[in-house]
Amino acid sequence: MDDDISDILASISSSTTPHQTLDLQALTRAWVNERTSPELLPYPTSLIDRVMERLKKQIEKIEDMTDTLDPKANFTLVILQTELERFKFLVRSFLRARIAKIDTYPYHYRTLAQQQPELLSNLEQQYLQSHQALLSAHYHSSFLSTFPANLQKLDDTAGGISMVDKPDEDQAVFCRVLRDAGRVEVQNADATEEIELRRGDVWVLRWSAVKRAVHRGDVELI
Amino acid sequence: MALPLPPGLTPAEVGFLCEMELVTVIPRQRLEGLELLGGPTQPMIPPFATPLPLWLALLLKKQRRANISPPGWLNVEALTHILDFETDERTADVFSPSPRLPQPTSTAPLEEDPYLAHDALELSPPFLKDAATAQAQDDALPYHWLELSHLLLTHAADDFDDPDAVHRLLRDLREVRMSKLRKGFRVLDAGAGVKMNGMGGMEVAEVRGFVGGVVDGLRINRSREEARKEEEAEQRENGLGSSNYRDDEDDDML
Repeated sequence: MDDDISDILASISSSTTPHQTLDLQALTRAWVNERTSPELLPYPTSLIDRVMERLKKQIEKIEDMTDTLDPKANFTLVILQTELERFKFLVRSFLRARIAKIDTYPYHYRTLAQQQPELLSNLEQQYLQSHQALLSAHYHSSFLSTFPANLQKLDDTAGGISMVDKPDEDQAVFCRVLRDAGRVEVQNADATEEIELRRGDVWVLRWSAVKRAVHRGDVELI
Repeated sequence: MALPLPPGLTPAEVGFLCEMELVTVIPRQRLEGLELLGGPTQPMIPPFATPLPLWLALLLKKQRRANISPPGWLNVEALTHILDFETDERTADVFSPSPRLPQPTSTAPLEEDPYLAHDALELSPPFLKDAATAQAQDDALPYHWLELSHLLLTHAADDFDDPDAVHRLLRDLREVRMSKLRKGFRVLDAGAGVKMNGMGGMEVAEVRGFVGGVVDGLRINRSREEARKEEEAEQRENGLGSSNYRDDEDDDML
């Protein structure tokens, strides 16, 4: 009985959680997921926009406070700045983790982004295009141009083997189930097993097995 | 520019994550509520306990503006109890259970919901309620137990009744759990699918490289073996054996 009441109370209080806190939770999850997954995840455009907007306002606020130089506000300022740096770290690390993935598999993500526009942000798109253009121009001028014409391609798929590197979708990941998410297949040495994803469980699974559940928010990586 | 780290959180990043846990702070001086980026904080009025994120609590503690009251599971009695469970022979192959989870706040999201939509966001550590506050459940270790107790013992040792005993118990717990983990590695296989309930954040960071390496290594080895078997079968059918020599050489090099 007690449990029921506290659950109801919890559900009420969580629905009144301020938007800022929800955004911090979402950003934290986005960061952890991106840092631990072998593949690029969709870019949370509106979330990052909101966070960036708030960061900008907070920086202005801190600058205003520094100008007034109220000795009492000094400690408040220290707290605000500390939090600002923590937030900036989250955003920066998140974006850098994405860029690292884009840099490793540029051709793969370029084709993928054409089918799934939500995968990359506009800036990431631009970065990918211009970085690739620079690289291939450099390769051409330094050595590719001396090759026979039919060997000059960087994304050749002839002969049954693709030159385009892809992330390893079967890599093992640690994940936590947030919501009952049905069953997934596990391929072991001799047999294919099915396991059930139950709320609260921690699993080591192949990324390909939980990828869809992570996109839905049923499972998070840890 | 690009992050030079491999996938997986580093111990420092796990610590960063842990600093978002709410802890119970007992203020020693007044501080008004602040509008932080992560939401407003409650005003501090001595001597009333206030929940604050750990990073802020540590900041206040270092300036002697507040005391931190340790979570319910972080004392000699509770830890002894948990250690008994961990060393009990009947539960030799499982970790002590994690704290009780609240009911899920949402049902399955709609298929068209964007990734990380607010409605579909289910809370998890470090944002679970009362994992590290004074009201925390006293018979279970939360996800960030190791990092949290380390930080508290380092920076707020004077807020504990018996910091040395707590420290000893934590070290014992850590060793027992690590040896359990190592025993559990026996079941690792190419398909992964290993359940590791009750594992802590720092423990994940510690074994990620090993577990990932074994699972991925086994898988790659196996697929290579299968490919070779298929190839051999094909060659037998076709009666061609000419490429055998070169294959062996390739394998030796790997």
